[in-house]
Amino acid sequence: MVLSAPPRSAPAPQRPKSTKSTGLKPRRRIKSATRMDAFAPYMYIAPFFALFAVFGLFPTVFTFYVALFDWNPIGGQTFIGLDNFVTLYGDERFWNAMRNTFSIWILSTVPQLLLALFLAQLLNNVRLKFANLFRMTMLVPYITSVVATTIVFASLFGRDYGLINSFLNLFGVQSIDFAANTFASHIMVSTMVLWRWFGYNTLIYLAALQAIPKDIYEAAAIDGAGGFKQFFYVTIPSLRPVIIFTIIVSTIGGLQVFTEPLLLSAPGLTGGAGRQFQTLSLFMYEQGFGNFQFGYGSAIGVTLFALIVVFSVINYLLSRRITSDE
Amino acid sequence: MTAKKFAKSVIAGAAALALLAGCSGGGDTDGKITLDVWTFGGMGLDEAFATYQEENPNIILKVTNAGGSDEQAQALTTALAGGKGPDVAAIEVGYMSQFKAQPQNFVDLRTLGSDDIESSFLDWRWSQGVAADGSVVGIPTDVGGLAMAYRTDLFEAAGLPSDRDEVSALWPTWDDFIEVGAEYRAATGKGMIDNVNSAIFNPAVRQGSEMYYGAGGDDDLIYDSNPDVQEAFGYALEAIDSDISSRTPSWSEAWNAGMNNGDFAVLAAPAWMMTYISQQAPDTSGKWDIAAVPENAGNWGGSQLAIPAKSDHPEEAFAFIEWLMSPERQLEIFQAHGNFPSTPELYDTPDIQNFTSEFFNDAPVGPIYANSVESIEPIFEGPQQRIIDTAILNSLSQVENGEEPAADAWSNALKNVKTALGG
Repeated sequence: MVLSAPPRSAPAPQRPKSTKSTGLKPRRRIKSATRMDAFAPYMYIAPFFALFAVFGLFPTVFTFYVALFDWNPIGGQTFIGLDNFVTLYGDERFWNAMRNTFSIWILSTVPQLLLALFLAQLLNNVRLKFANLFRMTMLVPYITSVVATTIVFASLFGRDYGLINSFLNLFGVQSIDFAANTFASHIMVSTMVLWRWFGYNTLIYLAALQAIPKDIYEAAAIDGAGGFKQFFYVTIPSLRPVIIFTIIVSTIGGLQVFTEPLLLSAPGLTGGAGRQFQTLSLFMYEQGFGNFQFGYGSAIGVTLFALIVVFSVINYLLSRRITSDE
Repeated sequence: MTAKKFAKSVIAGAAALALLAGCSGGGDTDGKITLDVWTFGGMGLDEAFATYQEENPNIILKVTNAGGSDEQAQALTTALAGGKGPDVAAIEVGYMSQFKAQPQNFVDLRTLGSDDIESSFLDWRWSQGVAADGSVVGIPTDVGGLAMAYRTDLFEAAGLPSDRDEVSALWPTWDDFIEVGAEYRAATGKGMIDNVNSAIFNPAVRQGSEMYYGAGGDDDLIYDSNPDVQEAFGYALEAIDSDISSRTPSWSEAWNAGMNNGDFAVLAAPAWMMTYISQQAPDTSGKWDIAAVPENAGNWGGSQLAIPAKSDHPEEAFAFIEWLMSPERQLEIFQAHGNFPSTPELYDTPDIQNFTSEFFNDAPVGPIYANSVESIEPIFEGPQQRIIDTAILNSLSQVENGEEPAADAWSNALKNVKTALGG
């Protein structure tokens, strides 16, 4: 507002004068004004990019640099070229973290998106009373602090006093030590991730559902398609781009799962005694901040970055193909 | 013009942000000196800080509690890496070897007169703050000491003696300790100890004169050849085999609950743990007692106070540390919070010798802890100490949780250490 005021008011009183004298000046002024106009949008978005350059771009590029060193954050730095990467790809802890990350990602993303789709469909029902209340409630897990969520879930999954095990005991099933067993711990972490994100995805699906024109459904109904057929032949194809979007976002998020395993791992950083639920980001944190090996940690970061790029490209190609199919 | 103005204001704004982020401390006003002190929870120093503030109006203590000792170590790492740091930083002993491996980040306290106070501290405790090049990086705070806290009611129910001297006499060695655990299991069906890591391996491995490093310094790794390590590891495996553990990880919710519910009857308890138990399990007051740890020596915990090299007021900071860790002050802290003094001259005084704990059935905790810390020998801890420790303890936990066979435990532990050191 402050910015746009001066150019409007400044030329106005001068206009009569200038037209009388040469007629050149106003043109110049207009020129500079258009140049300004062309420049202004960049200035408006500049704050974001300035901050991004400082807090996003620079650290990313610097990570690539640090990855080439044996780098102790409070000690010396020695250039070692690609040694960190060579060590990393031969490090079974890395592959273990990779397996865990993918396992947790799949265990959380697949049920999460299916659940979100199902809930969105329910919430889209025109006969649903208090629809807005239910829709807003969906966001509560998302806005709850991850720490609070993790603490509550950790006690639900507890071996001796957990609610889930007490429930299992009712049916004569022996208590499961969720934190100690590899697969069980993945279920535990995935549940937390699922709980945090399903509401967000539900709302995205819901918005997309509401954008589907009603007449397509009417046409389908006239052709004799029932509820299920409508869902699979009308709803799902219309949602494709959105589904692709949610898959990309949850892939990026899933590959970076950190807080839940970190809190479950406390007081250590290994993600359980057998590293059974240590994700790539937690492994990176352990090496960097736990063991003071910034170079090695950065090499993990770079690898994680590359992985996410690869997955995003795959997703992008898939989505382009699907949209061109339509 | 306006665009330029806008750009200017953006730059000004960014600069202001940077200033805010960068220079939060340091400003000395009216000739007063501000000392930035970074601590973590459970150090029991708050009253002492208040007293110092009252007695020294020219110094402003700015105390920041980072939360836990891990958070504090990470905050300090980040600060030092950025070329900053407080005037006084608490470092938990577990992290000490990592920090003192880079002594250039800290003021060598010998230049400020640490030689004059060295003799008042326990030798082995003092040496935990000394770097390989001989520079003194940190002054010891309290000492953990080690005793076995046990539940008298549960021992009686299991048909075991409950008197503290009789209990101490039950387990002069670790083998005896494990045998008592087996009896307890047979009588009650429950595990006697919380977990083998903190009740057996940790104390046992620290009872020798060497641990993971030999006399040769930072490169002299002997974790795989030192018989003491293997022996402690063996005790832990034997304990798992005899099923004496309730497999409750330390610091977990289940651990806190277990103190109340009697899921385990024995807990390795350093002095500062007394406060923790009484806070977590207030209803069990009077049901606990304190016995000696097998083989009589042990320590768990404690910190050093260091002065980062970037401190603007190293002399004032050292004077403050000297005051804070003087025997008189440490005695006050012990009486209020249970953090046991690291200055042996206090141990024979009536203040310690007659000190009893009501929560622990009036046990004479003073002499028990004094005895446990005096028989410890200095152990050299190299820069990778914590990494090696983590790898070995994790292997034991895997066996305890039934995730790995005991037969492979030692070779797995060695393999894990090697991987961790290679990375």
